[in-house]
Amino acid sequence: MPENETIAGLGLEEYKYGFVTEDKPVFKARPGLDEEIVRQISAHKNEPEWMLNFRLKALKIFEAKPMPTWGGDLSRLGETLDELYYYIKPQERLERSWDDVPQEIKDTFEKLGIPEAERKVLAGVGAQYESEMVYHSLKKEWEEKGVIFESIEDGLRLYPDLFREYFGTVVPPQDNKFAALNSAVWSGGSFVYIPKGVTVDIPLQAYFRVNAERMGQFERTLIIVDEGANAQYIEGCTAPSYSTDSFHSGVIEIIVKPNARFRYVTIQNWSHNMYNLVTQRALVHDGAHMEWLDGNLGSKLTMKYPSCYLVGKGAHGEILSIAYASDGQHQDTGGKVVHAAPETTSRIISKSISKGTGRSTYRGLCKIYEGADNAKSNVECDALLLNDTSRTDTFPYIEIEEQSASVGHEATVSKIGEEQLFYLMSRGLSEEEASAMIVRGFIEPIAKLLPLEYAVELNRLIELEMEGSVG
Amino acid sequence: MADVLTAVEGAAAYTKEAVQKRSANEPQWLKSRRAEAWRAWEELPLPTTELEEWRYTEVSRLSWDQVELADPAKNTASADAATGILAGREASARVVQAGASIISIELDEALAKKGVLLLDMSKAADEYGELIEKYLGTQAVPANHSKFSALNGALWTAGIFLYVPRGVRIDAPIRVARYIDQPGLAYMPRTLIVAEDASSFGFVEEMVSPDMEGTTFVNGVVEIIAATSANVQYVAMQQWGKGVKHLSTQRTVAARDANLDSLIVNLGADVARVDLAASLEGPGSRSDMLGLYFAKGNQHFDHNTRQDHRVPHAQSDLLYKGALDDAAHAVFRGIIKVFPKAQRTDAYQTNRNLLLSKDANSTSLPNLEIEADDVRCSHAATVGQLDEEELFYIMSRGIPRNIAERLVVFGFFGEVLERLPMPGVVEELREAIGRKLV
Repeated sequence: MPENETIAGLGLEEYKYGFVTEDKPVFKARPGLDEEIVRQISAHKNEPEWMLNFRLKALKIFEAKPMPTWGGDLSRLGETLDELYYYIKPQERLERSWDDVPQEIKDTFEKLGIPEAERKVLAGVGAQYESEMVYHSLKKEWEEKGVIFESIEDGLRLYPDLFREYFGTVVPPQDNKFAALNSAVWSGGSFVYIPKGVTVDIPLQAYFRVNAERMGQFERTLIIVDEGANAQYIEGCTAPSYSTDSFHSGVIEIIVKPNARFRYVTIQNWSHNMYNLVTQRALVHDGAHMEWLDGNLGSKLTMKYPSCYLVGKGAHGEILSIAYASDGQHQDTGGKVVHAAPETTSRIISKSISKGTGRSTYRGLCKIYEGADNAKSNVECDALLLNDTSRTDTFPYIEIEEQSASVGHEATVSKIGEEQLFYLMSRGLSEEEASAMIVRGFIEPIAKLLPLEYAVELNRLIELEMEGSVG
Repeated sequence: MADVLTAVEGAAAYTKEAVQKRSANEPQWLKSRRAEAWRAWEELPLPTTELEEWRYTEVSRLSWDQVELADPAKNTASADAATGILAGREASARVVQAGASIISIELDEALAKKGVLLLDMSKAADEYGELIEKYLGTQAVPANHSKFSALNGALWTAGIFLYVPRGVRIDAPIRVARYIDQPGLAYMPRTLIVAEDASSFGFVEEMVSPDMEGTTFVNGVVEIIAATSANVQYVAMQQWGKGVKHLSTQRTVAARDANLDSLIVNLGADVARVDLAASLEGPGSRSDMLGLYFAKGNQHFDHNTRQDHRVPHAQSDLLYKGALDDAAHAVFRGIIKVFPKAQRTDAYQTNRNLLLSKDANSTSLPNLEIEADDVRCSHAATVGQLDEEELFYIMSRGIPRNIAERLVVFGFFGEVLERLPMPGVVEELREAIGRKLV
C-alpha cells in the first residue's frame, strides 16, 4: 500500500469518520458537572490527594469565570455543557498490546488506520477513546534511550515527582474558563519526556476519538523536552456526526529546555457538531526552538491560539496555522508569542480559507516585554475567500514595551484571482482543477513543513473540499 | 453598572439645566436636538477597559468629571493669541475660537457670493435653520453614536458650520484656530462640514493652548459630509499644551465618487483620544486617511479608526505613523469592515511606530472584518527603533548623532506628509514636529 493511503486513515479526507461504534463502556458518569462528578473521575484514576484538590479548586474557578464574550458564538454552549457526559471510561485498563484492546474499539481505530501508521512511520502511538487512553506504546529503541511516552494517568502514577514539578505550571487553571474546566475534569492525553540530548527522529503520535453522543473530551498533555533534545509530536482527532453538539477542551503544556527543539503538529478534523476550545502553550528556554503546526479543518467552532512564551535568551517560537472553514464552521484560530527575554525571535504564518458560509478568524498576540532586548517578531496572515457568503476577520494585538524590538505584521485578504484562473484554464485545466491548484499553492508554504504523508493528505482534502465549489 | 452611575453623578458640571441654558436663545429644533443628545448621554454607559475599543485607555484619564463646564459668556481667552495662530497662513477663510466661543469669521467676498457659508453654528441656527437641521447630528455623528459625542451633542459651543455649494472650488484652505487658555474647564467644540456635489476644498483646524496648571477637558465632534464627486481634505492639528485631555469624535461620510481625505495630527495634550470613522457610502468613493503623532514625556495617545465599506467599488487607504519618546504610550486600533454587498472594495491600513526611548510603549491593533469575497484588503503594522545603518550613513557625512536622529525622524514622517496635497500646511507641520524634536 502506498504511504499516502496508509495515512489516509488519519482523519484528513472528506468526512468519512462520522461512523458510530456500538460499544460497552465500563463506566459512564451521569450527564452534567458538579463536585461529585469530579470526585468520581479522580476516584476512578486512584489519584493522590493533591490532584483531587487541584481538580476541585479548578472547578470553583471554572464556575466563577464568565463565559467569554469574544471569539465565536458561545451563546448555546451553556446548554451543551449542562447535558454533556464529562467522563466515559471505555475499558478497565490501558493496553500495551494492540491485541488486548476490545474488539469494537480496535475496529474503530483500524478503520482510522492507526496501527498500520504506527508500524510504518511512528516512534510511538497513543490512542484515546472517549475519556481514556486505550492504548499506548513506544518502540523499544526509544524506550531504551530513556524516552517516556505514557498516558497522562500513567505519567502521574509512574513519575510522580517529574509530573508534579511541571503539571499546571505552563497553563494554570485560572488562565481561562476552559483551562479551568479541563483542570477539573481532565482525562486522557499523553505524558512525554525526552531526555537530554536525545533526538527522536520520527514522530510520536496521539490519536483522539470521540464516539458517544454529547461527549466531552478533556485530554491533558504534558511534554518535557530536556536540554538539547529534539522531537516531534502529532495529534489527530475525529468524531461521529451527531445532531447534538459535543465538546472538546484540551490543555497542552510543553516545556522546551535550553537548546532543545520541539514541533507539535495538530491535524484537527472533528465532526461539524464539535465545539473545540483548546489551550496550547509552550515555555521556551534559552536557545530552544518551538514550533506549532496547527491545522484546523473540522469542528463547528474552534477557538485555539497555540502560544510560545519565550522566557530564555535566544529562544525561538514559530506558529504555522492553516484553517479551513466550510459551511457553518467558524475557525477562530491564530497564535500568541510572548517575548520575555533578550534576543528572542518569533514568526507566525497563518493561512485561512473560507468557503460557503464558513468564517475564519485570525486572532493573535505579539507581546514584547521591556528588557526583551532586540526581540524580533514577524506575523503574516493571508486569507482566501471562495464565495460571497464567506467571511474572514483578522484581529492581531501588538503590544510593544521594548525600544530595541522589531515587529512586523502583515495581512492580506483576497479571492482567487481571475487572471490566475484564466492562465491555468488556458492551459486546459477545468475551473475546478485550476481553483484547487491555486488553493494548494496558497497553503504550500505551510503544507511543505508537514511530514510528507500529511502534506499529501492535506492537499487531497483540499481538492475534495473544492469539488463543487465553482459555479 | 453601579460604578457607571456613580461616575456620571460625579460629573456635577453636566446637567439638564446646563443644556437648557445653552439652548436658551436657540430655535426649537436645536433645543430638541440637544435634549435628545442629553438623553443619549444619560442612557449610554460609560466606556470601560472591558470594551475592546477602550482596552488601553482608562476613561478616567480624560478627567472629564474633574472640571467645570466652560461658559461662552464668562470663559474667554486672549484674542491676540487666538488670532495670532493664523497670522501669515495662506487662507481663503479664517475662523477663530477663543475660550468657549467663536470671536471672528472672515470669508473671502468672492466665495460668499458663490454661496459658501461659514457660520457660527449657534448664532446661525435660526437664519440657516433648515440647512443646519438637515446635517447636524443626523448623518455623520447622531446623538447615540457614542457616550462622549452625545455629551458634545447636548452641550457644544463654538460650533462651526461650513457649507460649500455645488461645483464651487476653493483653492486656498479654510483655516480654523481653536484657542483656550483657562484651565479647569470642559470645552465642547463642534465642526460640521457639508460639501455639495463636485465642490472642492481643504479645511485645516488647529487646536492650540499654552501649557496649563490644572486639568482641561476638550470633547470635540467633527462631522464631514461629502456629496457626489465632492473633493474634501480635512486636517486636524492638535497642539494643546500640558494639562489638556483631548477627546475627539469624527466621522466622514462619502457619497458616490466623492473623495474625502483626512489627516489627524496629534502632538500636544497629556492624553489624546481620537475616534475617527470613515464611511464609504457611494460606489467610487475614496478616503485617504492619514495620521501623524509624536508623543513625549508621559503623553498617552489612543487612535481608534474605522473604515466602513457598505457599497461596492469604494476605496480607503489608511496610513498612521508615530514616533514615541520618553515614557510615552501610543495605541492604534483600526478596523476595516467590509459589509457583505461591498464587492470590489480596495481597503488598506498601515500603522508604523518608531520607539525613540527605552520606556516608550506602542500598542497596535490593525483589524480586518471581511464579509465580501471579491476584495483587496490588507493591513500592516510595524514597531521598531531608529535604524543604526541609516544613522551611521548620515553620521559618516560628518553630521552629529542628535541631528542625524532628527533627520531620520523627519524622513519617517515624510511618507505621511508627502501624501498631503497642501504644501503650506506640510511646511507648518514640519515646523511643529521640529519644535518637538529638540
